[in-house]
Amino acid sequence: MTRISGKYLAKRLVVSYLTLLLIMTLLFALIRSAPGTFIDSMISPEMTRAQVERIREVWGLNEPLWKQYLNFMINYQTGEFGRSPTWRVPVWDLILRRMPRTLILFGASYIIAYLVGPLVGMYLGWWRGTQKDKTIFGTSLMVYSMPAFWLAWLFIWFFDYEMGWLPSAYMMTQFPEFEWTAFTVMTDVLTHIALPLISLSCIGWVGAMLIMRPSMNNVVDEGYVFLARAKGLDERTVMIKHAARNALIPVATGAIVGLAFLIDGAVITEAVFTWPGMGQILVEAVLNNDYPVTQAAFFMLAVLVVGMRLITDIAYTYLDPRIKFGEEN
Amino acid sequence: MTLLEVNDLSIRYAVEDADVHAVDNANFTVDSGETYGLVGESGCGKTTLAKSILHLLDSNGYIESGEMWFDGTLPQWEDGNGNPRKEIIDDDRYPVRADGMTNLAELSDSQIRDIRWREVALIPQSAMNALNPVYKVGDQIVEAILRHEPQTTKREADERARDLLERVGIDPERADDYAHEFSGGMKQRAVIAMAMACNPSLLIADEPTTALDVIIQDRILEELEQIQEEFGVSILVISHDISVMAEICDRMAVMYGGKIMERGTRDDIFRETANPYTLGLKNSFPTITQKQQQLVSIPGSPPHLRDPDPGCRFRKRCPFAVEDCERSHPPMYDVASVEETGRLQEAMDDRRHGSACYRTDELDEIRTKAMKEETWKETATQSH
Ligand SMILES: Nc1ncnc2c1ncn2[C@@H]1O[C@H](COP(=O)(O)OP(=O)(O)OP(=O)(O)O)[C@@H](O)[C@H]1O
Ligand SMILES: [Mg+2]
Repeated sequence: MTRISGKYLAKRLVVSYLTLLLIMTLLFALIRSAPGTFIDSMISPEMTRAQVERIREVWGLNEPLWKQYLNFMINYQTGEFGRSPTWRVPVWDLILRRMPRTLILFGASYIIAYLVGPLVGMYLGWWRGTQKDKTIFGTSLMVYSMPAFWLAWLFIWFFDYEMGWLPSAYMMTQFPEFEWTAFTVMTDVLTHIALPLISLSCIGWVGAMLIMRPSMNNVVDEGYVFLARAKGLDERTVMIKHAARNALIPVATGAIVGLAFLIDGAVITEAVFTWPGMGQILVEAVLNNDYPVTQAAFFMLAVLVVGMRLITDIAYTYLDPRIKFGEEN
Repeated sequence: MTLLEVNDLSIRYAVEDADVHAVDNANFTVDSGETYGLVGESGCGKTTLAKSILHLLDSNGYIESGEMWFDGTLPQWEDGNGNPRKEIIDDDRYPVRADGMTNLAELSDSQIRDIRWREVALIPQSAMNALNPVYKVGDQIVEAILRHEPQTTKREADERARDLLERVGIDPERADDYAHEFSGGMKQRAVIAMAMACNPSLLIADEPTTALDVIIQDRILEELEQIQEEFGVSILVISHDISVMAEICDRMAVMYGGKIMERGTRDDIFRETANPYTLGLKNSFPTITQKQQQLVSIPGSPPHLRDPDPGCRFRKRCPFAVEDCERSHPPMYDVASVEETGRLQEAMDDRRHGSACYRTDELDEIRTKAMKEETWKETATQSH
């Protein structure tokens, strides 16, 4: 059954690891070449030279650059991300607290996008050229071309300010008048996540649909779709089991690109909805010249993308038996 | 015994502002257990005719008129012996006539699905691409079995699938392989095996040998003959290659521009050839009977079929065309009667040797001239 040999998997893991090392090096180079250093914000004009030196010493800035690089690489691989000069806590703690919030919001919208997008794309591709196809396709393109933050503001204005149906900021009620129980926490988080999730998903699914629709369109005329029909299968089975199953293959490739777009949107969306996730601290860390947090945040994103890449590659080999894992085609 | 009786079948495709008359007034009969051939140049409507039997036409295609009486009916109309029940025959709402034949042309979408594969299996023209790349070949055969015989267990179906593969000369183990692991000839044979999964009474093979190399072609033809012997299935085989027909057909129809030009037994068509188009087609293919003969192709190209004029479809390329041919497409004449009496007499029986040509009464002259290469060259200059 399995087409993935241990050897290929090992090879792939090594490649992923090397990719991460490369990204780390780039990160290090990029951030050290940015103007200013993070201790600038800790230094005030009345400090003595010795005091400044001490701060530099503590943060390891007096070491030669190569030593700093080496330390950085070693520390990162042992999960040692250092302390944040801004938040004054270990960076790792910060990530552990923030990352799940980002993952909840963006994971959910990613899942929605890749459920809805291919589904809609399947129908549109199947109904190609019909009025239904044209109408839905046109509308979704319009939505897709709206700037994400603008659509978000529109939702905030309507659902929060005008109707007062849903909160538009934070993850939870800030000063609640109700008691925290498992149930109230859950409903509170759900109402808070609703708006950012809706505005993210509204645009997110279109990307997947844009890949699925022409892909479906291409398989509609395939011999195996005709044969499925000739076998007496009903249209639904022909569409889903025979056509869509094949049309899905390119969507798997698109999913990894979609992830990159999602991360791109994370920063903006978290800012618009004051969502206390990784995107938010990334912005703050950059503004504060907080190297350790900036580096760690970028690093985590890189891990996410490289990990997803690995997963989609594996998924791909299961979707398409013609491809053997790790083989170039 | 008649298995399929096609009467006055016309099929059209709607395109922008016109209709493509892909099949026009076709009449023929396929008997149980025989191999019937449809032959003709590319674009003459062979595939259209085959697909229409199962309502598998492209979405812009439709049956303009005609009947397709088939000896086999829907499961819910059958009695214990597989024949339609008496109350179904007697009830005018059902397209079933007194002799138990069902008119496939009148079945609804959901009804025809029960005829597909169970009664009539169609091997499409591009059988090479007909296997779904993401499912195991065996599972695709199992799917067909389970669709029409839901009471069968998966295990039984799987065993049957392997058995079918073995019968067409494929190692049953290969049932677990995917299509891309099969060679071209194997794919073709796998689809043949799949076609026999529900033991249909009619197997339609659309260009079963095109795109295969000569040696594999022969093997596929042998395979079809063997299948026919084992299962007693009737085969409607389609090819543009008249030499394929010579090898396996009992009877055949020669098509041109949506019309059946000549039909009859293999011997009628090859030895008593009556229609100028068939004569030209024979000249352009190497046949087993006349080896080493020089190949002469018919000059010009087939008509477009968009709202065609009423004249004989072949007249523009026909070296024997006369004035009459302009007026209307000739009816099917009974060749034997014409030769006997010397007078044009329309064919009353689908099974007799028939030819659609106004000059059927001048056969000897036409046959002699058709043998000469110059005859076919002349038309080329004439028509331009
Ligand atoms: N969907 C369609 N719309 C319009 N015209 C069509 C369509 N499908 C086929 N035709 C036309 O109908 C005619 C018959 O086509 P068909 O495919 O039945 O021919 P064929 O004899 O099977 O040819 P080939 O040897 O190329 O398979 C051709 O002129 C073709 O161009
Ligand atoms: Mg064809």
